Amino acid sequence: MNRREWLKSMSALAVGAIAGPSLLAVFDAHAASQAPAAKPQFFNPAQYSLVGTVSDIVIPRTDTPGAVDAGVPLFIDQMFSAVYAKVDQTRYLNAMAAFDKAGGKPFMQLNDAQRKALVDKLHKEALAVPKGGKPAPAADFVMMSKKLAMLGFFLSQPGCTQVLQYAAVPAQWKADIPLSEAGNGKAWAVEAELKI
Amino acid sequence: MEKNTFDAIVVGTGVSGGWAAKELTEKGLKTLVLDRGPMVKHLDYPTAMKNPWELPYGDEPTQADIARWPKHTRPSFYGITQSTKHWFVDDIDNPYEETKPFDWFRGYHVGGRSLMWGRQSYRFSEMDFEANGKEGVGVDWPIRYNDLAKWYDYVEHFIGVSGNNDHLAQLPDGDFLPPMDLNCVEKDFQGKLDDKFKRKLIIGRTANLSAPLKHDQSPQRGTCQYRNLCMRGCPFGGYFSSNSSTLPSAERTGNMTMVTNAIVYELIYDNNKGKATGVRVLDAETGHQTEYFARVIFMNASTFGTTHILLNSTSTRFPNGFGNDSGELGHNIMDHLFGTGARAMVDGHEDRYYSGRRPTGFYIPRYRNIGTDKQRYLRGFGFQGGAGRQDWTRLVDENAMGAELKKAAEAPGPWYVSMMGFGEMLPSHKNFVTLDRNHKDKYGMPVLNFDAAHQENEIMMGKAIIDDALEMLTGAGYRDVGSFTMKANVGAGIHEMGTARMGRDPKTSVLNGFNQMHACKNVYITDGSAMASSACQNPSLTYMALTARAADHAVQELKRGNI
Repeated sequence: MNRREWLKSMSALAVGAIAGPSLLAVFDAHAASQAPAAKPQFFNPAQYSLVGTVSDIVIPRTDTPGAVDAGVPLFIDQMFSAVYAKVDQTRYLNAMAAFDKAGGKPFMQLNDAQRKALVDKLHKEALAVPKGGKPAPAADFVMMSKKLAMLGFFLSQPGCTQVLQYAAVPAQWKADIPLSEAGNGKAWAVEAELKI
Repeated sequence: MEKNTFDAIVVGTGVSGGWAAKELTEKGLKTLVLDRGPMVKHLDYPTAMKNPWELPYGDEPTQADIARWPKHTRPSFYGITQSTKHWFVDDIDNPYEETKPFDWFRGYHVGGRSLMWGRQSYRFSEMDFEANGKEGVGVDWPIRYNDLAKWYDYVEHFIGVSGNNDHLAQLPDGDFLPPMDLNCVEKDFQGKLDDKFKRKLIIGRTANLSAPLKHDQSPQRGTCQYRNLCMRGCPFGGYFSSNSSTLPSAERTGNMTMVTNAIVYELIYDNNKGKATGVRVLDAETGHQTEYFARVIFMNASTFGTTHILLNSTSTRFPNGFGNDSGELGHNIMDHLFGTGARAMVDGHEDRYYSGRRPTGFYIPRYRNIGTDKQRYLRGFGFQGGAGRQDWTRLVDENAMGAELKKAAEAPGPWYVSMMGFGEMLPSHKNFVTLDRNHKDKYGMPVLNFDAAHQENEIMMGKAIIDDALEMLTGAGYRDVGSFTMKANVGAGIHEMGTARMGRDPKTSVLNGFNQMHACKNVYITDGSAMASSACQNPSLTYMALTARAADHAVQELKRGNI
């Protein structure tokens, strides 16, 4: 920049003024553009209801809400829409197709007891695969769905506050206490993960 | 012209820049404080109070996030989440070259990485300051522990560090707030390490307020609420950041002028005066160029940020970069060995638990090459870790389904203990960064190109870290002991330092014993680039102490008319 340009630029200068938007404004704009959709985007209606049904077998409503109550199917749809790579999307959908054929007739045409029995059977089949091995696609679908349902549920408000226990602002650190005196004695929803 | 002239300029607002701003303004200097990013005022922490279910995508990065942060989403890093990604610069607009792979994690905003830092606060010891000179490695530090001790006291007192006085020569005690307690398994491990290995396990010293500060200068700061969400920014002011601590103090003096989005791209050198007269600044939003002038300049743009500006500031006097008579500018990159350690399961203790989320872990201070211990490698390492009870994720691979799975998840899982080594990296002229004049960023600045790798000493030490971790966990009688190694390049420790080192001789170093540039006395550099060795302790506290000391020196020198 030569002296002339520099002098010219001086006129526009306001020392101490904050020229651009604050990071907070940038954050708000970004968050709005990234907000997850309120309706399923990834699954078609048939796939979506199958995922919901399997989620509720993994985490059913008991005296506390279940996976569908907690919004797990939409969470899973959002994860596939935005978070998982193409290769994972394909793996899940292919596994779902295999799973849908594994019960003799389409999964949603089975009765409740048959559905549960199929999921249990494939779950056990997947667990029996030695470490490092790969379960067959139908069993793989059950394991992936179990993991996703658990993730969605235990991060949800009912999961955190009704099945586990959650303190937004613990206020105190008690390092070594009897389990019975640690809140209501259930597992904490958020374990203190060390980040260094 | 008048409007653009100050007593002092501080470039950068992170850990060290915030301290420079506070000290210089409190000593009465009209100070211009520049940051290349946008403003973040204390309390402008948009995700701080979000519950787990209020964060989209399970707090995971989306594919769009990974596309924007391809380097910041490398395996050694954990910051690109829905709750903290806004604190990190994207890799598309802020590129760098890697002749050898290098992990460079950055936050360009007011407060810099003081907002997201790990808060572990340890002093360097006498043996750390002596090691280079004794062993003929790099250059001898021009200072010793005693030169810095009272400044460590000073910064610990002001920022608030929770910790225990453990009376260890390799890890000096300090002016601490009460220590946080170890849990039952950590205490068990502590006892076993002491019995079997004569090694110490202490509570991590952390810049979180375990009790109110011992002074009344920071009314905006409250005590730690044990949420362990520090990295999002703390609305309680529970941990030290520039935003919560030093910048409010600087602002209250009335002597600070802050300009944000101000990218300093060059220092101005006046040949006749033999001094730096100011800085040239590019507005990140408008591209508008401005010059600012001052009698003294503090460079606190972070290790590579400062180095970048100096390399880009060439003149007839400094053809190879500002203050670079020694040829050492940009060289001697150090970090800490990072990403390896071990974990184990611990039987028993099922009836014990904890409440709250402690924002620190345990620390096993360095024990290698101390006293009678002699290793094939030089220096040593420490471990940072913690014990806890496994959460519901353990049940994914267990035979539990339905109502039974829900019931099982209600109970805390078995105990585990995990720890990771932080090892000292030696300074080497062969580890360096240069300007790549063929590749420019969107502001027209040539980008940095990294050429650094771990060498023989680091490779030997890296093996020892894993061997020792396995040996200690096995020796403690724990089960399923296993090591882990994450893919981590130099830089992954986010403790980068050394590229404008302090030293006694202007021929081999850039700065003198007061962080003053040998070749241009009114420029001070007090960020990580000043470090002559890395020790194995987390370095931020040392940057703070060096900054406070250098600011004191600068003001005295101004008064004496020496600069």
